[in-house]
Amino acid sequence: MGQGAEPRRGHAYDGELGAAVARAQEGDEVAFAVAYRIVQPALLGYLRGIVGDDAEDVASDAWLEIARDLGRFKGDGAGFRGWSATIARHRALDHLRRQRVRPRSTATEQDVLDLPGPHSTHDQALESISTEYALELVRGLPRDQAEAVLLRVVVGLDGPAAARVLGKRPGAVRTAAYRGLKRLAGQLGVEGVTDDGPRTLGESK
Amino acid sequence: MGEQLSDGGTAGRRRAHPQGTASGPQGVGAGPDLEALLAAAMRPADVDAEGERRAVAAFRAARDAGAHRARTRRRDDWRPRTRRRTVRSLRATLSLFVASLALGGVAFAAMGTTGSSSDASSKGHGTPTQSTAPSEPDPEPSSAASGTGQGPSERPSTAQDTEAQCRAYEQVASNGKALESVAWKRLVEAAGGEEKVAGYCAEQLVRETAESGKPGADNANSGGNPGQGKENDKAGKKN
Repeated sequence: MGQGAEPRRGHAYDGELGAAVARAQEGDEVAFAVAYRIVQPALLGYLRGIVGDDAEDVASDAWLEIARDLGRFKGDGAGFRGWSATIARHRALDHLRRQRVRPRSTATEQDVLDLPGPHSTHDQALESISTEYALELVRGLPRDQAEAVLLRVVVGLDGPAAARVLGKRPGAVRTAAYRGLKRLAGQLGVEGVTDDGPRTLGESK
Repeated sequence: MGEQLSDGGTAGRRRAHPQGTASGPQGVGAGPDLEALLAAAMRPADVDAEGERRAVAAFRAARDAGAHRARTRRRDDWRPRTRRRTVRSLRATLSLFVASLALGGVAFAAMGTTGSSSDASSKGHGTPTQSTAPSEPDPEPSSAASGTGQGPSERPSTAQDTEAQCRAYEQVASNGKALESVAWKRLVEAAGGEEKVAGYCAEQLVRETAESGKPGADNANSGGNPGQGKENDKAGKKN
């Protein structure tokens, strides 16, 4: 079932989201609230990966702009994700420019990555991870990889849409997302041990 | 949720196990389990009501101020791209095809007209007696009167031809090279010498106007002729 539910998070809601956006564009504020509830978690997750603890504030700014410019938007539910993510990204970059904060922690990930291959605990590590831990991992990635992963996985954009948000070629974004996820997988495979503790099952490698 | 994740995870994990190397770029990294996990961890479970209230208030204010009637900019247009592009390219291909057909038709038609008119002009110029004596009875009056317009009606077309060449001659006379072309040589030949061209032309023009003043089939024909005169002019230059 995981396959069916998973493929691109948020896509399950895209029909609903598209309808809500269309109604909101006709002036329905309840529909706008619906769209907010559908999109906000993804935007917030994305923004956390870029600006960390300031994500709530940046998201708030982004929503002011979204609310103001909604009439300009054209597209469906998936399009609205991309459009709002673009706005959120611009607000985040503005924020970073003001703060002069680099959302990078170049600490120990590389060392972790270079450790010998993951043990059988790779599986169990992935039962669940805390938001803080995921955040730490994602923000440990190079910026382009982190953003690509976040847009693809957390916001649920497809390749071309993510590329448009980032203003890059789809191929570059796909590669960045791939590398980022690969790296995260490696880290989780190792570090999961300390988080969850080993279980008995698992494919020994 | 946990159930689903672990369910879906097993399949993904096998594929992606050794550091996710197995999955290609399209599968993005280490399989669906990692993606689902990240998404679940990064997306907050609940949305805070305060933020929603602010956003809706901003929405209301913008709506009431009429901001929602603003024009769509390029960056606001997120309609599916690929389909539009396909449609556009299809349309472009079609219109290109149609345009090429049309141009081809025009070129073909032009080939026909220049061919026939050069025939006519060569006939006309090949026999100077005809062009110098346009008042001679037409050997085929029926063709001139048939009024097809396209058909080579010799007398008027020759006269027009000469007239057009005379006009063009005035413009080109200063350019020595241009006079070496066959058409000009014919004109000069018909006039009986380069210095006599002006007089010859004047004579032709007088005749031409006198003839076009006459009512009848000639008049009807000359009405359809200016275009042909131009064609002949072109043809003459080509020669």
